[in-house]
Amino acid sequence: MEDWRIYKHPILEFDRGKEFTIYLDGTPIKAYENETVAAALFASGLREFSKSIKYRRPRGFFCAIGRCSACMMEVDGVPNVRTCVTMVKDGMRVKRQKTLADWASPFLNLMKLPPQVYMKLFTKPGIIYKPAMKIMRQFTGLGSIPTKVQKDTIPKTEGSQGEISTEFLIIGGGPAGMSAAIEAGQRGVDTLIIDDKEKLGGQLLKQTHTFFSDVKYAAGKRGFKLGEEMVDQISELETVKVLTETSAVGYYPSENTMLMSGSGNTTLKVKAKKYLVSTGAYEKTLVFDNNDLPGVYGAGGVQTLLNVYGIKPGNRGMLLGTGNVALIVAYHLLQAGVEVAGVFAPSFRRVRGYFVHAAKIQRHGVPVVTRHTIVKALGKKKVEGAIVTKLNTDYTPVPGSERKIDCDFICIGVGLNPAYDLVQLFNPKMVNVRQLGGFVPIRDKQFRFTKDAYIAGDCGSIEEATTAVLEGRLAGLYVTQALGYADESVPEKIAEYEHALEEDRGSPFSTGLKAALQEITVDNIEEVLN
Amino acid sequence: MSQDELSAVQRGYNTREELEQLNVLPPEEKVREKRVAIIECTEEIPCNPCAVVCRVDAIRKEGLCTPAVVDWDKCTGCTMCVAVCPGLSIFLQQIKDDKGYVTMPYELIPEPKVGDRAQLMDRSGKVVGEGKIVIPTYQAKGDAYPRWVVTVEMDDPELSYEVRAIKILK
Ligand SMILES: Cc1cc2nc3c(=O)[nH]c(=O)nc-3n(C[C@H](O)[C@H](O)[C@H](O)COP(=O)(O)OP(=O)(O)OC[C@H]3O[C@@H](n4cnc5c(N)ncnc54)[C@H](O)[C@@H]3O)c2cc1C
Ligand code: FES
Repeated sequence: MEDWRIYKHPILEFDRGKEFTIYLDGTPIKAYENETVAAALFASGLREFSKSIKYRRPRGFFCAIGRCSACMMEVDGVPNVRTCVTMVKDGMRVKRQKTLADWASPFLNLMKLPPQVYMKLFTKPGIIYKPAMKIMRQFTGLGSIPTKVQKDTIPKTEGSQGEISTEFLIIGGGPAGMSAAIEAGQRGVDTLIIDDKEKLGGQLLKQTHTFFSDVKYAAGKRGFKLGEEMVDQISELETVKVLTETSAVGYYPSENTMLMSGSGNTTLKVKAKKYLVSTGAYEKTLVFDNNDLPGVYGAGGVQTLLNVYGIKPGNRGMLLGTGNVALIVAYHLLQAGVEVAGVFAPSFRRVRGYFVHAAKIQRHGVPVVTRHTIVKALGKKKVEGAIVTKLNTDYTPVPGSERKIDCDFICIGVGLNPAYDLVQLFNPKMVNVRQLGGFVPIRDKQFRFTKDAYIAGDCGSIEEATTAVLEGRLAGLYVTQALGYADESVPEKIAEYEHALEEDRGSPFSTGLKAALQEITVDNIEEVLN
Repeated sequence: MSQDELSAVQRGYNTREELEQLNVLPPEEKVREKRVAIIECTEEIPCNPCAVVCRVDAIRKEGLCTPAVVDWDKCTGCTMCVAVCPGLSIFLQQIKDDKGYVTMPYELIPEPKVGDRAQLMDRSGKVVGEGKIVIPTYQAKGDAYPRWVVTVEMDDPELSYEVRAIKILK
């Protein structure tokens, strides 16, 4: 059997836990206790996890963080399980979701029905809608409802877990959320921090490189170490409760209640006096031919595979984008012993990320190729190469400049969008600001975007771990003050962190961002919203 | 495809000439006298571990974002700054007995050992020769900066102005 696991890494040691066996369509596959189902399957060489609903195109995994649904499979009789966020259990039975359309798809593809036909077909008259739906469903491939679910797969705790209340609820346990929890918890604020992953840490868990910034804060530390340190600090605070594998899925302003969905189909309502939304960001994607082929991954997905599970995404990859994320992932690939064909992007003015990140991969033979873009991914069932082209300054392709890049995966690292979905439910004033990454709420100097809701980290403006930490700390202190817990250290600390944040944003990289932030920051949010 | 017509920030690495113009490279007599630090971090970014860690105050940074400047008279070539630089952009250079020596951070596999042969690469990744590892040390200050700092020896001393990466030949 193929094994894509990394056994020798210059920085990381992978604690995989006990060896298990799982079954893919009946075939035994080696897996480890600390792997997700998708990671174990990927390590064994599986690249096609599911098929697209309409055209039955192969789907691999893409995001590895439960956001894109490309990895849905039937697990122990339950259909549509996102295998990238489901941990392995010994003896688990995983199935690819086959449908009628698998044998019918050649015919359907021959007919090449335009998408709007699917929208209108059989919707009228009403009388044929229901029976037609039944048949159509057989073609869509989203699994069938299990007729006989094994007893032990039904979670015992299923259903509502009732309602709890807390003083301070933090949604998202990345560097921003954890820092806020530490500052507020230390000063006696009754705090609950939730995250949808199995561990706190957010993006930090995947980062093996050392950070810039002031040594007083995070500089020189490796991201994952910084994350571990914060997790330890939180576990020592009695005032801070942690709920992992729990997503915030709704906020009801009229009831001031946040609705959570936990593992095993449970729900929980939380009422809090103050909320902090620190949900981080989503990755942007890029449009090119065949960009849905297995082997086209998000940069975060590749980082998760490489640095969390210790699995190589392929033998030779190419990266798209010259921002820090793409440059850093290229370096992480080198560290794992994976070849990198190059980093490609238009980036006419300059390499978008920090110069030193670009320099450190190029000296190891990875070219940063600007003024280029990808035209298409090659391959039928998975990526077998890519075509790139040179660009004129008006972004039109230079005729005749197309060339083939040999690679077996393509990694998209073209930037992040703030994860604003939860923010919006608080009825804030949203604005679209390019320098901050996309849609963000108007806020005040205390990071409040409504009377009782605060924002910090990437979901308020796309920046860095160090700024996320400082913003989180500040948010924690502002909340402490607002709840009346402030001791004499608070104003002093606030001044210190505000100054540090100002210094961190002092480079030319942050000029645009700083101006944009100023523009959307008001004195008092309550005046703006009323 | 030639990328020569691009500027340093469009290319994503510096050439020796560009660094000379920026006064980043030490004068030849210093390099022949002792091992000295070269900080190839040429743009403003918020970072300061190198200046903080230097025990002889040889690295000056006006503010968190201003580029660092090395005082080669004071520098003792102790390698601390090489080990802490998050951007992996600090090197040491020396020319002694007509051999070139470059010290650099190393975070790849395989593990370096004394006497290992290594391919030498310049700033653009071009292979420019072969050398020998003379001092590999694993530096760690607490948990913060564990990383190999490796010194390679090369027969052509001129190469020590160019070599910035190695690939260990096994
Ligand atoms: C590849 C890469 C390299 C980077 N390199 C650097 C670097 O060198 N230096 C640096 O300073 N910064 C770096 N950064 C940036 C830094 O990691 C981020 O800016 C930082 O992690 C943002 O912190 P955060 O707390 O806002 O969000 P995140 O770290 O993204 O954490 C958000 C958390 O919230 C959870 N969440 C989201 N929605 C919900 C919900 N509805 N319910 C429950 N939980 C939810 C998420 O699962 C996640 O765990 C890098 C980022 C990437 C991706
Ligand atoms: S949801 Fe699993 S890969 Fe995206």
